[in-house]
Amino acid sequence: MDEIEESKPLSGLPTRKARVIGGREIDFDGEGFFRNADDWSAEIAEMLARESGLADLVETHWRVIRFMRDYYANYGRAPMNRHLKEGIGMSLMEIEGLFPGGIRAGARRLAGLPNPKACM
Amino acid sequence: MKKITLKLNGVSRQFVVGPERVLLDLLREDLHLTGAKQSCDRKGQCGACTVIVNGEAVLSCLIKAANLDGADVISVEGLGTPANPHLIQEAFVLAGAIQCGYCTPGMIMAAKALLDMNPDPDAGQIKKALSRNLCRCTGYVKIIEAVKLAGRFLRGEITPEQVRPDPAGKKLGVSHPGPSAMLKACGVAEYSADIRFEDALELAVVRSTEHHAIIKSIDTSAAEKMPGMFGAMTAKDIKGTNRLQFIFDDQPVLCEDRVRTLGDPIVVVAAETRAQAEAAAAAVKIEYDPLPVMMTPEEALADGAVQIHEKFPNLCYQQPQIKGDAEKALGESAAVVEAEFNTQMNHQSPLEPENCVAYMDGEGEEALLVVIGRSIMIHTHMAMLQKALGWENMRYEEAYSGGQFGIKAAVTSEGITAAAALHFRRAVRYIPSLHESMLLTTKRHPFKMKVKLAADKDGKLTAYVNDIEVNNGVYQIIGIVVILRSLQMLSGPYNIPNVNSLARLVYTNNAAGGAARGAGPPQVAFALESAMDMLADKLGIDPLEFRRMNSLKPGQSVSTGAMVEQWPFAELCELIKPRYDQAKKEAAAFSDGPIRRGVGLACHSFGIGGTGDTGMVAVEMDPDNGITIYAAAADPGEGNESMLTQIAAHMMELPLNKVRLVTRNTDQTTETGPAAGSRITYMVGGALVNALEQMKAAMAEAGGTDYEGLKKADKPLRYMGKKQTIKGGLDPQTGQGPTFETQVHNIQMAEVEVNTETGEVRVIKMTAAVDAGPVIHPHNLEGQLEGGMDQGVGYALREEYVHGKTKDWATFKYPTMKTSFEMEVMTPRETPRKTGTLGSTGIGEMTMISTAPAVTNAIKDACGARIFDLPATPEKVKTVLVNTR
Repeated sequence: MDEIEESKPLSGLPTRKARVIGGREIDFDGEGFFRNADDWSAEIAEMLARESGLADLVETHWRVIRFMRDYYANYGRAPMNRHLKEGIGMSLMEIEGLFPGGIRAGARRLAGLPNPKACM
Repeated sequence: MKKITLKLNGVSRQFVVGPERVLLDLLREDLHLTGAKQSCDRKGQCGACTVIVNGEAVLSCLIKAANLDGADVISVEGLGTPANPHLIQEAFVLAGAIQCGYCTPGMIMAAKALLDMNPDPDAGQIKKALSRNLCRCTGYVKIIEAVKLAGRFLRGEITPEQVRPDPAGKKLGVSHPGPSAMLKACGVAEYSADIRFEDALELAVVRSTEHHAIIKSIDTSAAEKMPGMFGAMTAKDIKGTNRLQFIFDDQPVLCEDRVRTLGDPIVVVAAETRAQAEAAAAAVKIEYDPLPVMMTPEEALADGAVQIHEKFPNLCYQQPQIKGDAEKALGESAAVVEAEFNTQMNHQSPLEPENCVAYMDGEGEEALLVVIGRSIMIHTHMAMLQKALGWENMRYEEAYSGGQFGIKAAVTSEGITAAAALHFRRAVRYIPSLHESMLLTTKRHPFKMKVKLAADKDGKLTAYVNDIEVNNGVYQIIGIVVILRSLQMLSGPYNIPNVNSLARLVYTNNAAGGAARGAGPPQVAFALESAMDMLADKLGIDPLEFRRMNSLKPGQSVSTGAMVEQWPFAELCELIKPRYDQAKKEAAAFSDGPIRRGVGLACHSFGIGGTGDTGMVAVEMDPDNGITIYAAAADPGEGNESMLTQIAAHMMELPLNKVRLVTRNTDQTTETGPAAGSRITYMVGGALVNALEQMKAAMAEAGGTDYEGLKKADKPLRYMGKKQTIKGGLDPQTGQGPTFETQVHNIQMAEVEVNTETGEVRVIKMTAAVDAGPVIHPHNLEGQLEGGMDQGVGYALREEYVHGKTKDWATFKYPTMKTSFEMEVMTPRETPRKTGTLGSTGIGEMTMISTAPAVTNAIKDACGARIFDLPATPEKVKTVLVNTR
């Protein structure tokens, strides 16, 4: 994918990788999660979605992504599945099925929510 | 069985007891009192269980209950309550003598017994009376001050009101009592083992008796028939990845087919009582097929060495650092010193064992798994457990925890406890022994460092080479982070234009290395600061002047090549100079005879605010116009609660009691990273400032400074603050790149006495000069330094963890009142840092980094013996002296 450059390791730490996406260098962790939620944009989410095999993000996807980002902005942590289920009004199975990788490795990653920081 | 009647805290109580029961059992198990603690496997080594019986301080773990008929017993609960505390409890709070608080009730009871007999004890009498009570946090300095202050209160010379800072007065730079200090003083702060559930099962773990072996078979059939047995579980019963992953997925919750170190967990047994669980665990039979054991990097890197982890080579990480051309500079330098330095594996030694409890809230697939434990990063640890156990619906609650010092950066007992609660669908308690806690925790990494340090004829440093080999032990945990931190702070406070290093991390079958106060810098600072003295000696330059003249200046760069903007280190050399000159003069009087005195210096500039870090804090305006702070900022005793409270009260001009903290559970807090890396004041305090600035801006727009004003103006009541550091990291090939945003600087001076006949070293005094930026809470800053220097002296002279052999506080050589020494924390310099939190940085780890080399430099100054391998035991000092002669 020409809009996303291959990742390069930062300081050899497998929990950090930098990728240039749409011309911007962004830090990711070893699982491909944003290290900083503020680096996220809708365009980057679309690019990452295409990379993961999801050709188009439709309104249902965006509902999940918006809920996750709003929750994170308000509470400073990712929503638990029980919050997601209540907030979206869909079953967990339905939400899991929407994203390649499911809720955590799919939706949460595309929504730009970081994993909790492991260490310094 | 025997019936006894005793008076407890003035109330007559009856018990029917067997011959094995001790007073501690009656207090904790029968009466559910939480003041008397347990740390030392009931060996009478820790004093945390001290109570008063018939007027004398006793260790309740050693007092047979059957002998207590007619006794008059006072526990800490009999002294006072948080609402109506005893004067001794007031004194401990006001003197800043309480950090983690685990030792505090025992200390207070020992102090009461002393003061009842002697209302005006001197320091020597206090040390003697409290000699059986251990503390890892304070270095005992403020505990001795607290007992003296209590004496003044009790003698009526002064009142707590005269000592207590005005809560409506100045908020910053004042030692206001910590929010939880009085709970700890009264013994009502709940640590994990204090938390009880109805019908909870007690856990025991079958651990590997081999250092490295294939598990041939596991037979739990005999255990299943034991009395009180509920069930056993193995790795097969864990539904998730069964891996506790920080960096590498190499650590199982329960071992599957192979054990890689002594004490690796294999089977969890649940029973009605702890004794039954332990008996059942002892009945589990495990057959092993031994594999070669590699305890050192040399063994693990030898040709044909067995790979310890299938997925990762034994040499699991390496990182070079190349700045300038060190080899060329070495060749052109006027003076070069060269040596190999070794540091030992060490235990962080929090007083509290690795206790944890867990339960299921609800039924079936919807049930919530609640884990209550000792984590300093509850969100991260919860995420690790979610993956390991395959259960998403969790909450992690941080109990009060008895000491930290890095050990609680890793998941230990929580994996076992959470897995058992989930598997057995019951509330469970896992209260491992001290010996087991030592087996299952991470340790300070041992380093081997081959060093060359060079200077020109004017004494300016020119080059530094340090080849570093790190014994990572059995699991990665944060080994790579320790390597990186070592390289980021490799050149310490100095301007060294040419640096060449290669740091290698090696898996072995030893105990897993992990975070330990400083985590890397204490080891590399030992090498650099020893070499600095060796080079100063070779050049004929005074060691203090040599350090001052080589201080970095703004515009110069550290070993990563990152340029610094502020570097207020040389000023600390000037600050300590009068003390240094005086100490040298005093030591010179002891230059003859078997007892020699010496003075040693060592320094460090510790990085604060590593790259790519984020802190997040939410604040809410409450209906009574107070503020609630939401952030998972753990405080196992360092003073983070005080820092957050006092900053918020200062910025919002609120009384301290109008600032509320919600920091201890994952359901309500922001994920704001670990209480590690000395980062909480800088990152989380900084995020708090940002949140409050947003709230204040909204208030200004609303034209009102209260809850109603914000509501009427339709402004939010909740604000999310952030602090983010610069991005980037070290280049994998050169180790060059951005590093920490700022530093805390310090220089320490050791004054020691060496018995040249026995090799025994006595520290007479440690002095510290520090610049951490503006001081928020002076007692907390001093307390960190005093505790850090005490740990540093232990690291220098006594402490060493040998896996399988170090089993308790006696074999560990825990610091005591007897080994304590005079300390002076000089009035700090307070240079505001441009990126600091209201100018402040952090203090927790820097405090011990300079201590060990200051002590060994002082030993050299005293008697000519240069110590290259820690710890400097009497045998080692004596051997070096013999060889030197």
